[in-house]
Amino acid sequence: MTTTATTTLTTTLTDRTVGTWDGRITLRVRVGGEGPPLVYLHPSAGLAWDPFLDKLARHYTIYAPEFPGTTPGDPYAIHQLDDLWDTVLVYEQALRGLGLSGVPVIGQSFGGMLAAELAAAYPDLFCQVVLLDPVGLWRDDNPVANWISAPPAELPAMLFADPESDAAQAMLALPEDPDAQADALAQMVWNLGATGKLCWPIPDRGLHKRLHRITAPTLVVWGEDDALISPVYAQEFATRIADSRVELIPKSGHIPQVEQMEATYSTVSAFLG
Amino acid sequence: MKVTYFQQVPYRELPDDFEKRYESVVTTPYALTEPSKVHSAFTSALDEMMHAARAGFDAVAVTEHAQSAYDMAPNPNVLEAALAYATEAEGIATGIYPLGRSLGKSREPLRAAEELAMLDAISGGRLIAGFPVGLAYDANVNNGVPPAETRLRFDENLELVLKAWREPHPFPWNGRFHQHPAVNIWPRPLQPNPPVFITGIGNPRTMEFCLQRGFGFNYFGWFGAKVAGRRIFDRFWEAANRLGKDDNPYQMGFMQTICVADTDAKAEKLFARHAEYFFQKGIGSIPMERLSLPGGIDIKGLQFIFRDPGDFGIYPRMREASFAELVDAGSVICGSPATVRDQLDRIAREFRIGNLHAMLQFGSMPHELAKDNISLFAEQVLPHLRPIWDDEGWQHHWWPEALGGVPAGTTTEAVSA
Repeated sequence: MTTTATTTLTTTLTDRTVGTWDGRITLRVRVGGEGPPLVYLHPSAGLAWDPFLDKLARHYTIYAPEFPGTTPGDPYAIHQLDDLWDTVLVYEQALRGLGLSGVPVIGQSFGGMLAAELAAAYPDLFCQVVLLDPVGLWRDDNPVANWISAPPAELPAMLFADPESDAAQAMLALPEDPDAQADALAQMVWNLGATGKLCWPIPDRGLHKRLHRITAPTLVVWGEDDALISPVYAQEFATRIADSRVELIPKSGHIPQVEQMEATYSTVSAFLG
Repeated sequence: MKVTYFQQVPYRELPDDFEKRYESVVTTPYALTEPSKVHSAFTSALDEMMHAARAGFDAVAVTEHAQSAYDMAPNPNVLEAALAYATEAEGIATGIYPLGRSLGKSREPLRAAEELAMLDAISGGRLIAGFPVGLAYDANVNNGVPPAETRLRFDENLELVLKAWREPHPFPWNGRFHQHPAVNIWPRPLQPNPPVFITGIGNPRTMEFCLQRGFGFNYFGWFGAKVAGRRIFDRFWEAANRLGKDDNPYQMGFMQTICVADTDAKAEKLFARHAEYFFQKGIGSIPMERLSLPGGIDIKGLQFIFRDPGDFGIYPRMREASFAELVDAGSVICGSPATVRDQLDRIAREFRIGNLHAMLQFGSMPHELAKDNISLFAEQVLPHLRPIWDDEGWQHHWWPEALGGVPAGTTTEAVSA
């Protein structure tokens, strides 16, 4: 049993904003921690600062950009992005604008796909790549579950090996205040729609053709019980990325850094060195 | 008031336990069907459409739903084409009203423009064009359009269709979703400005769009006119008032499920089980996540819906709803001609509805009973509804000139909100 539900987060976050896309998008980047820079790319529901990031922030200064449209108060930024190519350009421009180049990146799920796309498009952008249950590939014999259209009641079992665990419950918890809850649900649904622009109806925009371009050492981490995207995809990534290896995390579903925080942290920090 | 006959093509003999085992869209096993019953579903629907046309309805309206057991009509224009020719051959002056082609779904909007132009040409200018934005399951799941693009596609597609109809010379179209070097469709509609109605489910933005641009607005009352209708219609007319637009009732269309027999008791006896079939196995068996997908609803709409889901009316309970509950919600109006007349008269006047779409065949209702329903409605209800707005003296700007309308045309330039 994990105890992350009661863990107090200690990182002080500051917000940086970066004007990109010829001024049409202002990307908000949440920054926290101490140490060399590291980029974190969040999953499709939006950025959540979790105990994994909090622990990582003891050794790194984490830069976590928010996907356009997912920043509260700026929902329509998503309308400035038509497709993956736009997105890759916006992120590359923003990261370089922050002086981030040749740094490690960690991407989870949707963020993993983005990290892989960026690393393939600009092999010098990242010195190390960590992909946590990334989407972006497709196998007809193991279709990726459609998390965007899933009924809310089915999501916990799609995301967690043990939806009843404290860590899962903490992540799924909603504010008790009805107004805050309505706004939180609206933001989450909107975020899924915004990121869904690059994932609907099938989260495959041709990444399989580009993965070979990644030159950075790459760690592919997968929850052994991932019901959203099967661990068979770990090898699909690894075979296409030259300097890569796979680590499976037991007793974890789609979000290992939440469901098995310690094991995932050990694996990732050992790789980062 | 214009009264149209509203037709779908339901599979009429789904198993009794259908709603407990299946959804009515997308994944419904086709093995539940028999070829002969699919055939009869279509011949019955077309016969009922013609029966209604002969009985004097002002138009015959058909909706579009793909991968759906409750309405096997992925393209309403195919059915309307048959009707357009048959009514032309018999000399019946009724409107040809696809309700119609979803432009948020369409990846080939020029094809929709061409098909509709063909319908206008076949019917001698009797086309009324409905353009729904598109249901999530159909536009996004069936047709793969990202939900966040549905509305943007609708906006572009509508402008392309209207321009393709009107522009006298070939023009290039360099859109976000479509590029055509030379748009010059043959045929173009006979009508200079075919009437256009947009179907909405309550989104204020769609209502304001219709008012700004001069389109008609259609609302379907399956979620229950009594529980959801007041909110929807008030929202529309408040928007009209706010924008300084006329409250011309002919701009408003409303679809209502109706059954009528000699007495209230007989109507319930004849139709109750067919109404339960339709709402439980049809609309009620469309799961919420098929109607609403992330990205398809604006964040302001989401904030509103999560506080107040009232626009959905009885829908969340529809899969188990009894006939009595459906009547209470207003999802179905059922009774003697006097009962039905009174209720429709009251709804029309209260909500300022100038176009009623009467859904008189639904669910498992067999062909002969549907024809009886159509006949009795046409004889004893419809004549009483026609004059409802006569005393206010409005012109019907959303109706073909060939059928007595006074089309005003629509604003050609997009109006920024």
